[in-house]
Amino acid sequence: MNDQKVLVIIPAYNESGNIGRVVREVRSSAVACDLVVVNDGSKDNTVSEARAAGAVVLDLPFNLGIGGAVQTGFRYAMVKGYDIACQFDGDGQHDAGFLNTILDPVKAGAADIVVGSRFVGPDLGWQSSLVRRWGIGFFSWLLSALTGTAVTDPTSGFRAFNREAIRVFAEDYPDDFPEPESVMSAKRYGLKCMEVPVKMRPRSHGHSSIRYFRTLYYMIKVTFAILLNRLKQRRSFA
Amino acid sequence: MSVRVLAIMIAVSFFVFVLDLIRREKLTFKYAAGWLLVTGLGVILGIFDQFLTRFAFQLGFQLTSNFIFFAVSSGLIFLSLVLTIFLCQQNERNDRMAQKIALLEQEIREMRDENSSKS
Repeated sequence: MNDQKVLVIIPAYNESGNIGRVVREVRSSAVACDLVVVNDGSKDNTVSEARAAGAVVLDLPFNLGIGGAVQTGFRYAMVKGYDIACQFDGDGQHDAGFLNTILDPVKAGAADIVVGSRFVGPDLGWQSSLVRRWGIGFFSWLLSALTGTAVTDPTSGFRAFNREAIRVFAEDYPDDFPEPESVMSAKRYGLKCMEVPVKMRPRSHGHSSIRYFRTLYYMIKVTFAILLNRLKQRRSFA
Repeated sequence: MSVRVLAIMIAVSFFVFVLDLIRREKLTFKYAAGWLLVTGLGVILGIFDQFLTRFAFQLGFQLTSNFIFFAVSSGLIFLSLVLTIFLCQQNERNDRMAQKIALLEQEIREMRDENSSKS
């Protein structure tokens, strides 16, 4: 494989129970990469546990939401001149064994953004609860209809981004629940999305930041965000 | 008649209050100009209320007071929209600043590590 510099971005909010293990898992994986944990204003010892596990930590002074945290990682990737950024959740749901699966298509130039999907290809394991799967199915339908590209797992936060995608999202990335909406942004900026099959695990400690998922609120909010995103203009950056 | 006096007094005190806020630099000119205009207009319309009555009638309002309520509530809705725009802008800047702080802190940390490894 070629020697493109890879940065793994791990957003974390109150993940002291998981973060150390996640950091060690990524560091001990066979993938040559650097790793940065973005602490999104946690009130526990996420920062010290991540540092103890050997991670570089970007420590946000207050909570920005997952979008703002991941965007901090994109900015770090820009400053440090990384070729590829990979988002990897801090709650232990993602399996570092699949890092190469999502990195390879980006390295090969097959897409600007690669999303690790639980629903494409063979059933590799845990696929979330029934209610969540309905929600995911709805966003999948909505985004596929709006963007014309098939997206089966739009809420997946296991993603890889090339230089162009990093450059765009460092400037313009959705706030609250960015994963589904950013597929729309990608379309607006002409970035090509692609999915690869991955396996995910149910989280072992703490709460998901989208415990709202059961309520209609999340659905309505993200639906509006996606539809409004379509109205937005493409910003131009230096 | 006493209602009119009351209205003029309130309008004048608002106007003076805005002037005082500017004097004490609690309001910057950017925002103060609009408030001066609005409160100044309030004083003028309080004194010459016949203009207001005539204008309201021409617009088709039966009662001047209805016109005033309508105009003021429309104005306030517009103002709150403008304030929301400012709020969003401040929010965005705040977030950018937080991100920048996190990045700079990391840079300082790296420089410190570099220095301590040299010495």
